[in-house]
Amino acid sequence: MSTLEVSNLNDGTTTVATTYITNGSAKAWANFTGISTTALRDSLNVSSLTDGGTGDTTVTFSSAMNNANYTGSWYNNAGNYTTHGAFSNHYTGGFASRTTTSYGVFAYQASNAIDAFHNDTTIFGDLA
Amino acid sequence: MTHGHLWDRLAEAKTRLKPVQSKYRVLFEDPATPDEPAKVLVPDPNWMACALEGGILPPIETYQRDRDVPDGEPKEHPYAEPIGPMTEEEAVCYLIQKDICPSIWRDYKGNRTIMKIVPVEMIPSDRSFRNAWRIAQ
Repeated sequence: MSTLEVSNLNDGTTTVATTYITNGSAKAWANFTGISTTALRDSLNVSSLTDGGTGDTTVTFSSAMNNANYTGSWYNNAGNYTTHGAFSNHYTGGFASRTTTSYGVFAYQASNAIDAFHNDTTIFGDLA
Repeated sequence: MTHGHLWDRLAEAKTRLKPVQSKYRVLFEDPATPDEPAKVLVPDPNWMACALEGGILPPIETYQRDRDVPDGEPKEHPYAEPIGPMTEEEAVCYLIQKDICPSIWRDYKGNRTIMKIVPVEMIPSDRSFRNAWRIAQ
């Protein structure tokens, strides 16, 4: 693997610092199902999932984050659907515990935990 | 040649390695939370491909030492020299030590079985009573 050391990128008209890319790139992401046997479809920088119960999943990083103040997004389709599932006024979950090495996500439909077919999560922040 | 940052090696490996779905799962219970159901550790297919390939993942000891490093301080595992290829069984043992609390796999002193490595077929696909799952004694 070779390394190109540059401070800026220019496409002929616009110049951006390479820090835009390093700071703005997702540091981890995962796409998994919680239906039947929990399994990852694809991911980056994830070593495992822990199925902790209905709708309860912990995602563990391969390469840890620098601190627990990272941010990200989390989507699930609140059920065993292959489309977007149930929305209306249904709450569909959120982040739980967040540490430098892992974070939890919960899937809900109404006020009940539920296993979801589509679980998509992305993390932004600083790597350790 | 430098081996760079772990994240860079993972990203590069993802472009060339075919994901490997593990045939194992790790069932465990946390004695600190006895009312919670048994948990199931699922190895990541891209991570498993890296473990089998070798030259990507750091020594497990670096993760263990990093447990004691405060947030925001430099960690050892991202920059450690990568280790060689593992078998799938060795990779699962590595993952247990990395992703499961030591109080479960190392420090537990009780008589009750709180961790098992099982073939994926042994995990029930019917999740109707998921929150009542326990490890059979």
